[in-house]
Order: sequence, then C-alpha cells, then structure tokens
Amino acid sequence: MKQGKALTLEQDGPLWRGRFAAMASPCECLVRHVSEKLARQVVQAVAEEAWRIEYKFSRYRDDNLMAAINAGDAQWVVVDDETARLLDFAEQCWQLSEGAFDITSGVLRRAWRFDGSDRVPESAQVDALLPLVGWDKVKRKADRIRLQQGMELDLGGIGKEYAVDSAFQLAGKFTDADLLVNFGGDLVGRSATAPWQVGMEGTARPMAGQLKFTSGALATSGDSRRFLLRNGVRYSHVLDPRSGWPVAEAPRAVTVFGQQCTQAGLLSTLALLQGKHAEELLREAGVQYWIQWGDDAPVTG
Amino acid sequence: MKRKLDGKTLGAGLAAATCTLLGQPALAQDAADAWQFDSAVLYYSEQDRVTAVEPVVRARKQFQDESELEMKLTLDTLTGASHNGAITSDKPQTFTSPSGNSTYGVVNEVPLDDAFKDTRVAANMQYTRPFTRTLRWTGGLNFSNEYDFISLGLNAGLLWDLNNKNTTLTFGLAHEADTIDPVGGAPVGLTFQSDDDKTDGSEDRSINDVLFGVSQVINRRWIMQLNYNLSVSDGYHTDPYKIVTVVDANGDPLEAESFGATDIGAGDAQLFELRPDSRTKNALYWENRYHFDRDVLAVGYRFMSDDWGITSHTLDVKYRFQFDNGWYLQPHVRWYDQSEADFYQESITAAELTALQSGGGEVSADYRLGNLTDTTYGFKVGKEWANNQQLSLRVESFQQSGDSDASELDALITQVGYTFYW
Repeated sequence: MKQGKALTLEQDGPLWRGRFAAMASPCECLVRHVSEKLARQVVQAVAEEAWRIEYKFSRYRDDNLMAAINAGDAQWVVVDDETARLLDFAEQCWQLSEGAFDITSGVLRRAWRFDGSDRVPESAQVDALLPLVGWDKVKRKADRIRLQQGMELDLGGIGKEYAVDSAFQLAGKFTDADLLVNFGGDLVGRSATAPWQVGMEGTARPMAGQLKFTSGALATSGDSRRFLLRNGVRYSHVLDPRSGWPVAEAPRAVTVFGQQCTQAGLLSTLALLQGKHAEELLREAGVQYWIQWGDDAPVTG
Repeated sequence: MKRKLDGKTLGAGLAAATCTLLGQPALAQDAADAWQFDSAVLYYSEQDRVTAVEPVVRARKQFQDESELEMKLTLDTLTGASHNGAITSDKPQTFTSPSGNSTYGVVNEVPLDDAFKDTRVAANMQYTRPFTRTLRWTGGLNFSNEYDFISLGLNAGLLWDLNNKNTTLTFGLAHEADTIDPVGGAPVGLTFQSDDDKTDGSEDRSINDVLFGVSQVINRRWIMQLNYNLSVSDGYHTDPYKIVTVVDANGDPLEAESFGATDIGAGDAQLFELRPDSRTKNALYWENRYHFDRDVLAVGYRFMSDDWGITSHTLDVKYRFQFDNGWYLQPHVRWYDQSEADFYQESITAAELTALQSGGGEVSADYRLGNLTDTTYGFKVGKEWANNQQLSLRVESFQQSGDSDASELDALITQVGYTFYW
C-alpha cells in the first residue's frame, strides 16, 4: 500500500481545496477566507496527520506499532499514549456494544472473503478461528498490551474516523476560519459563515440529496458491494465477532451525522451490527441518520 | 439476535468516549440528563470586625423541552462587630446596645457594636421556558430571612432571540416586599439614643425593578452584554442600629443632657440616624467576554446613580488562563468608587441638629453612604475533570478607604467551590 505523498492546492473564490490520498481513499481539506500561505500550512498539516496515523496504525505494514503488537508472540508490548487512548476507546466500544464491536475480529477474514462469490466458509473453518477472537482474551495495563498467540488487532474500524477528528483538531490550531476535513467521505467541518454543503457520491453512502451544516461530522459504515450470495441468501460483510458469522438482516450501509467523526463512525458501525434493529438504535441515540437497506432509496431519520 | 442495546446509553457513552480519545473535555450532552450542583463555602473576614461564613448550594437542570430550573439556597452566618455610626474620638463616648438594655463606652477606637451576630437564610427559584422558537419567558421567587428581616420577592421576564440567536433582548420586572423588625423596636429618627425612643411593631419597604438587557454576539470570540436597571423603593430605609454623633466646634462629642435628653454617661449625644423614605436607582451594566484560543477575558463596568446623590463606578476584570488537563488560573481585579449621599455626615454640630429637627431633613453617618474606594484583587484556581466535575479555590484581598476612620477596612475572602452532576 505504498502511496505517493502528492498534495495539490486549488483556489475557488474564497475557498481553498487541498487534495491528497491516504488510507486508500481520496482525501481533501477545505478552508475558506484565508491567505494562500495559511491555506497551504493547514492542508499540509492535515495531510501529514493522515499519513502519520496511517503509517502508525496500518495493519498492512510490518514496520509499525501494530505489527509489533500483532507479532508480540504472547509477550507484553509497550504502547505510546495515543495508542493507549485508542485501545481504551476500543475497549469502551466493546463494552458499550456488549461485544459486538471487537478490534480482535479481523482474523475472521481468513475464513470470509466478501468478493460477490458464493464461497461461504464451512462452520468448522469459522469455529477454528473463534478462539482467536474476543477482547476479553486481551491483557491490558495502562501502557502495555499482551495478545494471546495468534490473535491480531485491527484498528481499521476506528482509524480513519479518528484521523479525521485528529487532523481537524490540528488544523483548528492554525486558524479560526471555516474548515472541512474529508477522508473518503468520512468528514468533519465547522463554519462561521456559509454552511458546508455535502452531497452523496456513489452508492456506498446512503444519502440522498444534500446536507447543510455549520458544525458536525458525517461517517458511513458498510459497503453495498461487499457480500456473498449463496442459494439466494445474501451474506453481508458485517461479521458478528461473537458467532463469527455475518449479522442477519443487516443494512447495506449506514450514515450518521454527529458531533465528531469518530462518534458518528462508531454509531454507524454499531447500528450495522444491530441488524434489523439498526434504525431503532439510531433513533434512540438521537442522531440524524440515513440507512440503505436494499436497493431502494435510503431510509432517513 | 441477542438482547437489544439501548441507543440512548450507547450514544451518550460513545460521545464521552470520543471526547476522551480526542483529549477534549466531555460535552455537556454527557450531563444532559443530570442535575448540576454548584456548591461553595465562602469565608469572609474583616480585620477586627465582621466574620462571615456563607455556604451556598445551587441546583440546575435543563429539561428535554429546553426549559431550565434553577434553585439556590444560601446560608449566611455573621459574627463580630460592626461600626455603629459614631465618630472616632479621643474623648470618651457612651452608647446603648441595640436592645436598649445596656450601655458601653469607647475611647480612641472606631466605635463598634459587638453584639453583631446574625444568620441569614435565602432561597431562590427561577424557571425559564421557551414558548416559541425565539421567545422564552422566565419567572422566579426569592425568599430571605434574618432575625430582624424578612424579604419576599417575585420576578417575571421575557427573553427574545433575534438575528439567528446572535442578539438576545431581555425585559424583566421584579417586586420585593421587605419587613424590618429591629431588635428593641424601630428608633424614632433624630432622637437621642440615650432616650431609647422606639416604636413597637415592624417597618416595611417595597422595591420595584425594571430591567432591559441586550446581549450581542460580536463575533465567534466576543460577546457583549448591556443592561439597564431602574429600581424604585419605598418605605423604611433607615438602619435602626446606626447613630450620628453630635459634636462641638472642636469635633468632640457633646452630652445628651445638654439637649434635655437622658444622661447615660460621657459623650452620649448620639442621635438615631434617619434616611429618606424612598430611593430611586438607575444602573447601567456593560460586560464583555472575549475568548482567545483557550483563555477568556471578562471585563465588566457598572455605573449607578441614585436620588440620594450617590454615584458609583465599578470596574471588574478577570482573565482565565486555561491549562492542559482541565486546570485553570483566574486572576481578578475589582475597583469600586462611590461618592457620598447628600445626607451623609460623619458627625453633626448642635446647630445642624436644630436645623434638621426643625427642617425635616435626614442624616446618616454610615460610612457605606460616604465617599468610598474599594480595591479587590485575588485569584481563583480550579480543575475541571472530563465528567464535568470541578473544584476551585478563590482567594481575594479586599481593601476599602473613605473619609472616616470607620471606613478603613481590610478583609480576606476565601471560597472553596465544587461542581458535580447527579
């Protein structure tokens, strides 16, 4: 996953738009009513932050902290403050979701490949992986972590949204101007002048029309293109770490509007994991949401 | 599918967890369903005079319909001695205690009435509720009780949000009814203390207030507020425990018996003070709050003018240094200056007494009605936790100076505060 560290900056009236690629997504940073010099500083800082977090937490590298934790071989591995906070956050999500959200569930991908085919794994294959899944099997101390032999952590379910929030905070230290940070559709923005307007692009995000906001974040979980189909049964790519099998009747995708990107992202993920109860959960949580159930138009609330 | 999760708990939990992850203070939404309690104990100590201990508890809650209820309970315990109004003289003076049952003498010191001891209980309740998208009404009740004083008040107001909530106009009315029941009765003004000429029964006073306010968001960092307050009070304004010394040409206290009054000792020509039976105050208050990236500057100015001839200016400046991990330090400076009331006199002569008694005038030697300059400086240090709990300590030094010896005062103010949600 080597990415060129290219960065472009364009001007459109009072709006500056910086573009770069990170985390396998097109990323952008928008800033209004500032000088070119300041715009470049802000965009550069946002891109550096995205690249930093990607480098640090990507599970596709073998030279980062994630790799060190996953190769820990049942030994204690010391983690830095930021990683400890992310692990604490993951633990809280695991608790709040009663085990439905679990950053140790990545190993299930060894059995499940959602490529649109009919290759549903055998029960025995899945069962063989379950002993390696479960946050309760992980040992934690304030500054260190120990996995059991063969277990793996995957912060993919948090990392991008966290990067959006973190980059946004960083950019906010440079300027009070209107700001929008968007990493592949997961975004956060604020505006004191005209509201930001974001629209739907492609089918991954179940949003019809436009959303206008002056402060908030948008995140989407799910991917309508990733599934298995066998004997007329559609297996969603949303796996329940407790059973190792896809969540029944899960929506294809959920978008949530919240205060921070991380919060919105986790809410949308946890809603997916609730299957047919997804909408109920979001309504109770009191957030604005869009749910893509089938091929129909999204349900919003 | 297993037992369904509760979305509300989940949403609130995630919001709090996200704030912790991002190193931000948890948002109010975490505490949205809880009562906010602000508790504090204030310790006020004047050198050689009054000491006050004042615990306060305030409870506040915002409801789902955006209405807000606030209740406050204050307890004040005062002990020590307070100035009785007489001059400071190198000649002996003799006074009666407020009850009229005993006498005391003072030489070469500020005459203090050391029977000063009081406990005050005050309770306030205020409820605010929106009734359209831009209009809110508010209503409140106040009650205050001391051993010689009861006050009951009510208020009502309208708040109007304009201009996308960047401007808020406030209009308020308040009424207060006070009953004063002095120890030993209410003295007849301008009579000699030694005669103990007092009326039975209580005195009363009513106060009506009108308030106009504008608060304006200037920009993302700066918010400004301007209030005008008209207050009209009618009834008993005299301090029943304050006296005025009648002096000779040298400024030495005279004898009551030379005016045909009862002799209780040396230097006993002490008159009960008398104040007008109405007071109209006009006050203007202007406050600015400026938010830097983390720090906050607050500058307030108040101007007051009344028909007793008092004009006052108050300047109040606070700067809050916000540090990492929720710590803050807030230095505070307050400056107050007041001109004297038309009827204020440190003491009066026999000729002035005759003029007052025949002309129906008023007189008071209460230094609080004289020329005064106060300076307060100090700081507050506090820590806020992610769950919105807050602990603070305030220490301030208060210095007062004026025309008379009695007005020279130093005090130390200490307050410990604790805020929590429940």
